[in-house]
Amino acid sequence: MSSYTDYALRQHFIRHQRWGFRWAIWTAVLWGAWYIPGTALWYEYPYNIISSEDQGQRLVATAVMTWIHAIAVFIFLALWNGSLGKLKDYGRTLVRFRKISKWYALASLFGGPMAIFGSYMAMGFVGPVFAAVTSLFYPVVGAVIARLWYHEKISGQAALGMAIIIMGGVVIYGPGLFGEVGNEGSYVWLGYLGGILSAIGWGAEGAVASRAMDVTDPDVGIQCRFSFEILFWGLLVLPAIMLLTEQPVWFLIQETLLTPAALTWMLLASVCHAFCYTAFYKSFSLIGVSRGEAIGNLYGVFAVIFVAIVTLELPEWYFLVGLVFTIVGSFVMFREPAEAVAELRSVTENAG
Amino acid sequence: MLVLLEQQQIEWDDRLIDLAMQEYELEGRYWLNHFRIILDELASAGLITREDHRLDTVTDRLIFQYALSGFGRQRMRDTGLL
Repeated sequence: MSSYTDYALRQHFIRHQRWGFRWAIWTAVLWGAWYIPGTALWYEYPYNIISSEDQGQRLVATAVMTWIHAIAVFIFLALWNGSLGKLKDYGRTLVRFRKISKWYALASLFGGPMAIFGSYMAMGFVGPVFAAVTSLFYPVVGAVIARLWYHEKISGQAALGMAIIIMGGVVIYGPGLFGEVGNEGSYVWLGYLGGILSAIGWGAEGAVASRAMDVTDPDVGIQCRFSFEILFWGLLVLPAIMLLTEQPVWFLIQETLLTPAALTWMLLASVCHAFCYTAFYKSFSLIGVSRGEAIGNLYGVFAVIFVAIVTLELPEWYFLVGLVFTIVGSFVMFREPAEAVAELRSVTENAG
Repeated sequence: MLVLLEQQQIEWDDRLIDLAMQEYELEGRYWLNHFRIILDELASAGLITREDHRLDTVTDRLIFQYALSGFGRQRMRDTGLL
């Protein structure tokens, strides 16, 4: 009987792992795919009529893209949670602002105006492969914030992985910083800045959201996080731009929604993003955050493959070398067994 | 679920799921699996720990006994659940 119970226990965890790996692979595929419609958007009206010299307008266009993106992701997540019967739970979580949803509000500031905005900047000013690879820095940022803020442990293994990821970053940014790609245009630095913003933003978002995500349903948590992002752009940033500048914010919103090609790319980008977030958190519950992130980070590989298929061009050599470093670093960083996660996450009593 | 487990200290998943379904006035196989997944998620995140397991010979299903971890208690304090 005992051996049958042990067999059943083994089967239970094998089933978990199999599903967890499937979700994690879906994360990587959808996240990698996101860079194609995200970049294609820049080549559609109304974004393609913005002069490459008018950096102010291009930044405003990025803000408009990010806001519409957040609304579309919210709609897809509402459909998902509605079909799973979780909308009541969404309401219950959202109204507990002082103790729970304030963390999602803060996470949305890092995730939206920094990470997604930064990614659209990186896609628009440098390119999709750069945008994908540079974001792979986010686990380093997340681990450092978790260490400083809630005193989570960083093992020797994780530190080694972080060092490899940082080396990958040097390879990615090196040629740009030493002028090899600086000739492409004097505003490429805005793309590099966007890349850094996306890595810091996603790392910080994960560290902040995990505080609330631990005690709430992840599907519901993601929807809360996008609710706050919509409010942030819609009530603060975009009205401020309209009031203080002459930038055509309303024109860009209207034309994006009325242009079928732009709207299609926007919806494709949003559906990829909505379900890559959902699949990511589902994988965490089945195989642990460590393995989920390690496999999810393969999105960099999928992004390179998708971009090569669509453009029929291979990326620059230093992006590929950087990609290898960051992927190897992710696997080294997250190689701890899932069972060790609880121990890794143990915090001191006075933490936070 | 965390609040229930904090009240019960240590409890088998079938009992915890019964209590949660009564609390939210839910029934059916979908919600049963929904709460099982929640317990798996909490265990995977390190908020609760699996203390024991046994095989239910009637349903041929594994049943786990859970307890709140120190980290889970800390997160409950952080988020006002405790």
